[in-house]
Amino acid sequence: MVAYVIKRVLWFPLVLAIISFVTFTMGFYGPGDPAMVRLGPKATPESIERMREKMGLNDPFLYQYTNYVFDALNGDFGESYSFSGRTVAELITKKIGISFQLGLAAMIISIGIGIPLGVLAAIRQGTLMDTFLVGFGLFFYATPVFISAPLLIMFFGVKFHLLPTSGWDGITSLSAIMPVIVLGFPGIAVMTRLTRASFLEVINQDFVRTAHAKGLSDFQVNTRHVMKNALIPLITVLGLSLATLVEGAFITETIFGIPGIGRLAVDSILSRDYPVIMAITLIVAFAFSLTNLIVDLLYCYVDPRIRLTG
Amino acid sequence: MRNFRYFVSGLLIILIIGCFGCIENNTNVKIDSSNDTLGESIEDSVFRRIWDDVPTLDPHHVSDTTSATIVVELFSGLVTISPDLLVVPDLAESWDISADGITYTFYLRDNAKFQNGRKVTAYDVEYSLERALNPSTMSPTVKNFLGDIVGSDDVMNGITKKISGVKVLDEMTISISIDQPKAYFLSKLTYPVSFVVDRNDIEKNDNSWFLNPNGTGPFILDKYVVGEELILRKNPNYYLNLPKLDYVIFKLSGGSALAMYENNEIDITGVGVADLDRISNVDDPLNSEVVVAIPGFDLTYIGFNVSMPPFDDPNIRKALAMSINKQLIASQVLLDLVVPANGILPPNFPGYNLEFNQINPDYEYNLELARELILNSKYSNNVPRIIITVPGMGGSVGLDLQVITQSWIDELLLNVEIEQVEWATFLDDLNARTFQSFAGMGWQADYPDPENFLDVNFHSKSPLNHTGYNNVNVDTLLEDARIKQSWEERKLLYNEAEKIIVQDAPIIPLWHSGENMVLIKPHVKGYLLTPLIIPKLKYVYIEK
Repeated sequence: MVAYVIKRVLWFPLVLAIISFVTFTMGFYGPGDPAMVRLGPKATPESIERMREKMGLNDPFLYQYTNYVFDALNGDFGESYSFSGRTVAELITKKIGISFQLGLAAMIISIGIGIPLGVLAAIRQGTLMDTFLVGFGLFFYATPVFISAPLLIMFFGVKFHLLPTSGWDGITSLSAIMPVIVLGFPGIAVMTRLTRASFLEVINQDFVRTAHAKGLSDFQVNTRHVMKNALIPLITVLGLSLATLVEGAFITETIFGIPGIGRLAVDSILSRDYPVIMAITLIVAFAFSLTNLIVDLLYCYVDPRIRLTG
Repeated sequence: MRNFRYFVSGLLIILIIGCFGCIENNTNVKIDSSNDTLGESIEDSVFRRIWDDVPTLDPHHVSDTTSATIVVELFSGLVTISPDLLVVPDLAESWDISADGITYTFYLRDNAKFQNGRKVTAYDVEYSLERALNPSTMSPTVKNFLGDIVGSDDVMNGITKKISGVKVLDEMTISISIDQPKAYFLSKLTYPVSFVVDRNDIEKNDNSWFLNPNGTGPFILDKYVVGEELILRKNPNYYLNLPKLDYVIFKLSGGSALAMYENNEIDITGVGVADLDRISNVDDPLNSEVVVAIPGFDLTYIGFNVSMPPFDDPNIRKALAMSINKQLIASQVLLDLVVPANGILPPNFPGYNLEFNQINPDYEYNLELARELILNSKYSNNVPRIIITVPGMGGSVGLDLQVITQSWIDELLLNVEIEQVEWATFLDDLNARTFQSFAGMGWQADYPDPENFLDVNFHSKSPLNHTGYNNVNVDTLLEDARIKQSWEERKLLYNEAEKIIVQDAPIIPLWHSGENMVLIKPHVKGYLLTPLIIPKLKYVYIEK
């Protein structure tokens, strides 16, 4: 086990080095000059040249790359090209937190509402309630963010002045309600349909019949036996939808004026803010590497049949 | 078990990423709490609007309107532009101009202070000009705005740090000598690159001093969180009439501006084409809050690279210029939100030539003549493919440009394409003059003088001449106009230069912005809608 962990951890730097090298190369050889973007269309060639010199953009590729790597290893991701006087760390840390809160809250909505509705639909299979719940879920799933968001804004913001239409004052504030709904509701449909299908598959199995035969009530059978087994397939979708929530936040963040990482990432790419692009890429890559390792370790605890070998 | 792996993996990614947020949230406790205090205590004297993140707050780095709008409220210079667009005293109480028009002597106000209460002296002005010109400052605009000062080249080239043309006569008096008697020099001093900065600020932290600057403007930077908000606070030490607002909040996180306005989250917003019909309807409740803004001093145009086929032949350029039905497109496509541009200078701008623009425009819509010009060109029936490059990200191109290019395809039987490249690449290629033709951008005046449109964009030696246009006669006229002292004489020279430029057609002038609708909450008073960026928030007050 220890050997396995060491081996995996030793891969981290290589993975990050490859990812950083590819990202850096794309930025270096791609079109667009960060110095020119920073100084704007009225800049003279002389000032652009001086800015390039100051940013170190005239240095050879390998020199720039190794400089970046050494600084990054010392925890210094550099200064943003677009926002003068701001360090990359200062720019991205709070924004990542905001996107995380938004994504997590939306996921809780999807699970919290989707699973009970799915169970209800399965128990009432074939009834009007079943049809209604599935249709209800599909309606939200089929509604794109750029339709649902303006509708909510018009209703709760413009017409009734109940909620702010933009900004972010934290996940517990009124400003979070509409974006969380917009981001979380399509997930309800997914959870409802999957829970229903999974529940129906389990409900007809022998051990459920046995449970009924033991004299357990419907409620006891459903919660103790059916639910436990039916939830397993849902976990796959949950894991994937977590990533989707973070990725998909860009549109929601833009419409609701939420200062999340999605908007910063896109803006950074457009303005050739390489230090910010590099930092975001590396953090996400690091997070993926680390979580993969932790999952692998947890794996063998959960399923004792699995052995990790170095 | 694989399912479990996905789930835990996703959850951990979120948690790890979330940790960054937790760390930052702790470090921003102060900011959040100050925001709460703001909302509770001074609600009645706050003006809120939507805005974009500012590329810079260092006045010597400003080259864009987004930054300039904020910077003119935080800093000030010797002179400024008044709401009626005249150059008026600011930090300087008055000035003399020598008989030869070359030396300007400025007398500073006795009560001129920085925001921390320190007195502004002539040494501060001298230091600021030296800093702006110093190559290590890397000001993108200093050459255009301060390059007329005697000795500025030596400073810009790093030969010396002292400007020979700037002399401190006493603590409150400073003289500035320029290379030629240029009447518009005072106007140039209204641009942020000429503003006074605090030496102590910069010496303390050259890298980010402007995030907590000690300016001289009517407002103090209270808070700036990228992507969230920028808050200005009244400067109690301001040397002119104190601002009436206590705070101005610029919301930077985006959102739907009109919805925010209707939900009372902001106090002012523009009205886009999509909402024009609704807001124009007198039965709409918002209609009573509409204010019509006077047109801005700007020009939207299509530019040609005059050294690249087919635009190296003036006949082709002229043919395209006279085959656009500007009146029709302005009214039917752009809903009269623009004014068709026949010349380069916008209406009401100094030097605007009414006769040339409206009574007898140089190029009237004439398809027959356009076809004839193409036949007479060196390309005749074999005009190369025309690519018009615009900045964009794959979204739809302006409808006006689509109509124009389609008419060239249909009526002139040309092969025309519009190509989008995103902003960074566009700027790169624009400066390298690799475009055959370009559109989707324009010019907005920095100060009210024709030199700012004609000389800056069309003199063959100007770094901002993106078309490569080179006409010796135009250069001579523009150079003469720089040094004439009589406004009437200068105006005639500029009118003549403008006429030749339009005839040569290195660009096709398309539109000047027209009267725009702006929504302003009834409790907001004193907001001035000006065609130039001037410090104007000090005039605004809230009346509830």
